[in-house]
Amino acid sequence: PVFPSYHHFVVCSLVSRKKMSPKSKRGGIHMDLCKKGCGYYGNRAWQGFCSKYWREEYHKTRPKEMQEDWELAERLQREEEEAFASSQSSQGAQSLTFSKFEEKKTNEKTRKVTTVKKFFSASSRVGSKKGISRDKCPPVPYNDSTVLKRTELVSRELLEFFFFFLEDQGKPVHAELREFLVGTHHMRPAGVTERDSISKKVFHTMHLTFQPNQRAKHEKIEKTLNYVTVFILVMIVKKLRCTTVKEGKQLKCTVVEKSRISQAGTPRLEAIPTPSICPCVSDSHLVLVPWLSFVDIIEMDSKHVPRDKLACITKCSKHIFNAIKITKNEPASADDFLPTLIYIVLKGNPPRLQSNIQYITRFCNPSRLMTGEDGYYFTNLCCAVAFIEKLDAQSLNLSQEDFDRYMSGQTSPRKQEAESWSPDACLGVKQMYKNLDLLSQLNERQERIMNEAKKLEDLIDWTDGITREVQDIVEKYPLEIKPPNQPLGALDSENIENDKLPPPLQPQVYAG
Amino acid sequence: MAAAGGSGAAAAGRAYSFKVVLLGEGCVGKTSLVLRYCENKFNDKHITTLQASFLTKKLNIGGKRVNLAIWDTAGQERFHALGPIYYRDSNGAILVYDITDEDSFQKVKNWVKELRKMLGNEICLCIVGNKIDLEKERHVSIQEAESYAESVGAKHYHTSAKQNKGIEELFLDLCKRMIETAQVDERAKGNGSSQPGTARRGVQIIDDEPQAQTSGGGCCSSG
Repeated sequence: PVFPSYHHFVVCSLVSRKKMSPKSKRGGIHMDLCKKGCGYYGNRAWQGFCSKYWREEYHKTRPKEMQEDWELAERLQREEEEAFASSQSSQGAQSLTFSKFEEKKTNEKTRKVTTVKKFFSASSRVGSKKGISRDKCPPVPYNDSTVLKRTELVSRELLEFFFFFLEDQGKPVHAELREFLVGTHHMRPAGVTERDSISKKVFHTMHLTFQPNQRAKHEKIEKTLNYVTVFILVMIVKKLRCTTVKEGKQLKCTVVEKSRISQAGTPRLEAIPTPSICPCVSDSHLVLVPWLSFVDIIEMDSKHVPRDKLACITKCSKHIFNAIKITKNEPASADDFLPTLIYIVLKGNPPRLQSNIQYITRFCNPSRLMTGEDGYYFTNLCCAVAFIEKLDAQSLNLSQEDFDRYMSGQTSPRKQEAESWSPDACLGVKQMYKNLDLLSQLNERQERIMNEAKKLEDLIDWTDGITREVQDIVEKYPLEIKPPNQPLGALDSENIENDKLPPPLQPQVYAG
Repeated sequence: MAAAGGSGAAAAGRAYSFKVVLLGEGCVGKTSLVLRYCENKFNDKHITTLQASFLTKKLNIGGKRVNLAIWDTAGQERFHALGPIYYRDSNGAILVYDITDEDSFQKVKNWVKELRKMLGNEICLCIVGNKIDLEKERHVSIQEAESYAESVGAKHYHTSAKQNKGIEELFLDLCKRMIETAQVDERAKGNGSSQPGTARRGVQIIDDEPQAQTSGGGCCSSG
C-alpha cells in the first residue's frame, strides 16, 4: 500500500521538475521573448513568460506548486533516510553512502532531465537492493508517535555515518544533530526565525567541535558541513518552503513592488538611462554581459541548497568580470562591478530574489557567507538589491524631475545616448540605436501628422458651422429680389434745380 | 561561526583568516593598491587576474599563518549607503585617500566616524595617503593627516602604488595588529563566559531595513 503512493510522489515531482527546469544551458543560450508578447524576455523556467506575467500565472498555480514542493521535500527526505539506512545495513558501506550523497549533490547542482532520471533510477535501485531497509522505515506521514521513532532511527544511522567519516569526531556532531532533529519535530509551528536560529546554532556548535581538532582536515570539515547543511535542509525544507512563501508575501519585496509599480504603466525601472547607473561601462560590453549572467542569476531560483544558489551568484559574477575585462582591458574593480551587477539585476529581474537572499542568509553556513569569494559576491548582490530598494534621484545623479520623468516613462534615455557615442561601441549596436532613433523620429512625425489631421477635422467642423450659420441667416432674412429700378431718365430730367436757376442771360441790345 | 572572523583563528597552528575592506572615494587608487600588493603589478597589460575586487593573500607572520581576504568596495558617492553591508564582520579597514585631493581626505574622515560608530574598537583602521609620487601636487598636509589618524586610533601610511612604496609595510603592519586584536579577543573569550549557540558576530539578515539591522546587530549581536 505504501509503494504506489511513493511512486506517485516521484512521478509528480518528476513532472514538476520537467516543467520547471531551465535546461537550455548546454545547448546554447536561448532566450525567447515573453509568450504574452509584452516585449520583455521570457524565461523557460517561467514557462516562457516574463517576470510580470509569470507572477500572474504563478499566483494562479501557487497552491499546486506548494503541494509539489511539499512532495519534493518528502521525497528528498525519504532518499536521505534510505541513504542512512543503507549505510546501516552494510557496515563497510560508507563509500556507498558517500556516493549517494555525492550523487544527490550533483543532482541538485545540475538539475537536468537526465539527472532527474538518474535520481529516479537511483532511488529505485536502492529500493530493490535494500528492500529490507525500506520496509524498516516505511514512508509514513508525519504524526507525533512515529516522529520520535524515526528520529531515533535516523540519528542512529547518522551516528554511524559520522562515526566512519570523522572517526572520533562523530559523537558530538551526532549529539548536536540529534538535538536539532528532536527540536525541529517538537516545534513544528515555529516560525522561520526560530528555525534559522536552530540551524545557526548547529553550525556554531559544529565549529566549536571542529576547531580544536587539528587532525581533521579542512576539506573534510567543509564536506561534513555541506552534508550537514543538506541534511538540515532536508529535515526542515518542507515547512521551510511553505513558510518562506508565506513570509515572502508579508515581506513585500521592495524590488518586486518597485517593478510592479513601474509595470503598472508601460515603463519600468529599465527606462533609467544605463549610463547614469554605470557610466564607466561602455555599451558594447553591456551587450555581451547580459545573456550569460541573466541565465545564471535567474537559474538561482531553481536551486534548492544555498550552496548551489551561491554558486550561481558566483558564476554570474564571473561572467560580469569577464565582460568588464574584455572591454576595459584591465582587471575589473568594484567600481565597475557593482554598477554592472545592479544593471544585471534590474534587467534580469530574477524571480523571488529577495526571498532567495533571505533563504541563503538564514540557512547557509555562516562562515561561507562571511569569508571567501562566494561571500563577497553574495555581499555584492545584497548591496545591489539594497541600492535598488533605495533608488532615488539623488543616487542616480539625476534631478528629481528627470528621475520622475524616467520612472513614469515619459522619456526614453536612448535618444540622448545616440548623441554621445563612444567610438568603441560595436557596429551592430550603433546601427540598432540609429534605427531606433529613426523609428522614434518617424513616430514623432506620425504623431505630428495625426495631430494635424485632427486639426483638419476641426476645420471641417468649422466650415460646417459656418454653412449652418449662413443657412440660418439666409432663412431668417430670405433674399427678396426687388424689381429693378426705373431706368434712369435723361441726365437732366432729374435736375430739378434747373428750374430754380435764373434764366439764361439774354443778350440785350442797347440803342445807342 | 568562529571561522567567520579573526576570532576564527584558534589554537596555535591554525590559520587566522581576516577580512579587510578597502574604503575610499573613487579614483584614489584602491584597486591599484591591492593589485600592486597581490600581483605586484601596476597598469600592466598582462595582468592575469580576472578581477581586482576580491583578492586573497596568504602570509606567514612570525610563524602564524594568515589568510587575508581583501574586499574592494565601490567608491562612488552614490554607493556610500551600502557601506555597512560590506564592512560588517571585517577585521580591518584600509581607508584610502588621494594626497592631491582634499575631498577624498574628508571622505576618509566620514568613513572613520561611521566605522567607529558601527564596529567600535575591534576593527583595525589604516589611513592611507596614496599617490605620493605626486608629492608636488599635494593638497593634504602630512601633519594634518597624521595627527588626525592618531586622534582616532588609526595608523597612517604613505604609499604609492605606481612606485610600489609603502604597500608591503602597510599590509604587514595591519596583519600584525589584527593578530593582536584577535589574540586579545580570544583571551577575553577564554576568561569570560563563552556563549554557545549564539555568535557574537552573526550573519545579518537583510530585512526591509538593512541599515537599521546592521547598526543594531553589526557589532554586538548576542542573539
